[in-house]
Amino acid sequence: MSEALSQVPLTSYLLVGLILFSVGLYGALTKRNAVIVLLSIELMLNAVNINLVAFAKHGLYPGITGQIFSLFTITIAAAEVAVGVAILMALYRNRGTVQVDKMDLMKR
Amino acid sequence: MDITAWNWEVMTPEFIILGTATILSLIDLFMPDDRDRRFLGILGLLGVIAAGFYVIKFAGAEPVQIMNDMFRLDSFGTAFKLIFLTGVALLFILSIQYLNRQNQEVQYRGEFFYLVLTALLGMMIMASSADLITLFVGLEVLSVSSYILVGIRKKHLYSNESAFKYVVSGAIATAITLYGMSFIYGITGTTNLYDIAERLASAYQQGFSLMIYLGFFLMLVGLSFKIAVVPYHMWAPDVYQGAPTPVTAFLSVLSKAAGFAIIIRIFLSVFRSIVNYQSDAGSFYVLFQELNLYIAILAAASMIIGNTLALRQTNIKRLMAYSSIAQAGYILVPLVTFWGINFFSQTLFYLVAYLFMTLGAFAVIMVVTTDRGTEDIRSFAGLYHRSPFTAIAMTIFLLSLAGIPITAGFFGKFYIFMSSVLYENYWLAAVMMGTSIISYIYYFGIIRQMYMRPGDTEARLAVPLPAAFVIAVGVLGTVAVGLFPDLVLNYLNQNLQFTDMFARP
Amino acid sequence: MPLYTNNYVLVTIFLFLGILLPVAALTFGRFLRPNNLYPEKQTTYESGVEPTGESWIQFNVKYYIYALLFVIFDVETIFLYPWAVAYDKLGLFALIEMLIFIVLLIIGLIYAWKKKVLEWK
Repeated sequence: MSEALSQVPLTSYLLVGLILFSVGLYGALTKRNAVIVLLSIELMLNAVNINLVAFAKHGLYPGITGQIFSLFTITIAAAEVAVGVAILMALYRNRGTVQVDKMDLMKR
Repeated sequence: MDITAWNWEVMTPEFIILGTATILSLIDLFMPDDRDRRFLGILGLLGVIAAGFYVIKFAGAEPVQIMNDMFRLDSFGTAFKLIFLTGVALLFILSIQYLNRQNQEVQYRGEFFYLVLTALLGMMIMASSADLITLFVGLEVLSVSSYILVGIRKKHLYSNESAFKYVVSGAIATAITLYGMSFIYGITGTTNLYDIAERLASAYQQGFSLMIYLGFFLMLVGLSFKIAVVPYHMWAPDVYQGAPTPVTAFLSVLSKAAGFAIIIRIFLSVFRSIVNYQSDAGSFYVLFQELNLYIAILAAASMIIGNTLALRQTNIKRLMAYSSIAQAGYILVPLVTFWGINFFSQTLFYLVAYLFMTLGAFAVIMVVTTDRGTEDIRSFAGLYHRSPFTAIAMTIFLLSLAGIPITAGFFGKFYIFMSSVLYENYWLAAVMMGTSIISYIYYFGIIRQMYMRPGDTEARLAVPLPAAFVIAVGVLGTVAVGLFPDLVLNYLNQNLQFTDMFARP
Repeated sequence: MPLYTNNYVLVTIFLFLGILLPVAALTFGRFLRPNNLYPEKQTTYESGVEPTGESWIQFNVKYYIYALLFVIFDVETIFLYPWAVAYDKLGLFALIEMLIFIVLLIIGLIYAWKKKVLEWK
């Protein structure tokens, strides 16, 4: 079975990554709920992880670096989103909304 | 592989900054809440000065790299680190003034100081690494610290909102950058910039150009977030307005300079080596003849959009945001017209000039807006009668930003303009000229407010000592660099061999 | 390449099996069980507590802070794995480096403790 799986060409993985990335970008740009926006950003970052791991196994020069890179990506994504959620909580306490389209105080 | 044998000494500045940040955070935690925390700023300032001492000590040496190029000390990194450290030192002095006892908006004062230090650490890593992973981690240390700094006024609605906008746009930019990096990694199998450069050239010959272009464009778009140029500039006005003024100054000067450091480092060392052989046209370097066109378009678009949208602004910090978008467009021009070793000195000269004039301008803005309690441009009305020296200093900063002779900004712009003309990139030079003239309108608008409009009050404006110091340093820097541009250029060219960026010891 | 298309055949077979199994089980069950409906049987939790109110309720914000702390410290341990795997080759120096890393994490924990995040007021 694992023998058969390794025959899956690289493009399939890249396609999954591309779809995840596009879905995430679409969600991040269009969703009104701020929590969903943060979730969509996580999707984009996970698309990167899929790419990196796929390249580490099936790229032109296979190696372990891609997997290490994805470890860094995972931790940094967690830190970034944790800060995002913390700021969102401060915002929610002051304004009582998590709707992105209500955040327009500075628009003239 | 003996890790202990590596020359860890070259990382001394980074270790000092890390240590200072750690110690500051521990002191802040175990100190009673009601104590004045401004001495933390002085401790931080000492740390920055110590780090600066070691950076100068190592300057001009042969490039050193440890941890398989993950850390690399070369002239390029040294020059940028000096800019960062000078900027952060001035910023600390400004912040000690900003976080005085009257200011009740920022409750977390200790955090303010050590977050600036961690951001500084991130910037220094961004300037001196030759590995994609390390560069990326540096970028994120800077980003995450600055997200918190923007939102540090926890009860302030604008601050909350701008921090959230900054996090969301920053995280999307990170994802885009990483997605681009993943393609570059995929066709080279390494994250070392020099190995990438070698393998990318052969990958290009083998027909993987599509992935190279994909990686290039995604990274360009993602990294343009940090320097706030066109495809990713929309966050700047809102974030600049909502952030506390010292943080706005930080974003507009230091974070931007760090963005340039990482962009120049990655693009010049990774994409430099790609050569395209065509039977009829011979061979040419892809980066310098093909991809540069796209950077040129971004630069031109930033100049046009930044300068025209600034015309309509009535909030001084929003105006500075659009102005900084345009300034970033100017600084991108030398990268487009990469013309020998002068490239580095041109870019750095402009960054030095930009550092002095922008930090000085923000110091004046901080004093005036806190005094009047509004960020409207009209708060500058009658400033000349209230405090002539502040008004004259602000005039010098604005003239320099606009690029009027005998200021630092003029020579910075002049060198960039000449490089564009020499490279026969006339349309970009024309755009730069035209938009500079447009920029006179809004810069002179502020000057007109200061001298010719009557203010609401004639009371003398008391400029506190730390802010006055920063303003004085800004004026001195701007005028001295403007009067003796050769001194700076000679120093840069003689002490720092920028081409060693391409050399791998 | 033929092996690769075989994978899709496998996936299709699994898909069919996956759909078939619950359908078959439910159909069998329908024939075997006694069909005797009365009102108590149709409540959500038979012999349980009746749910009240809406299902979209707000959780206490303290849960989020705990979750944030958990996410950060949980994810940082990721770096311990590659170090542990290569421990034999890295030796003492890497051990010291890892200790520095953990000390920095502990400072983060002290921060959370001093800021009273760990207390449930």
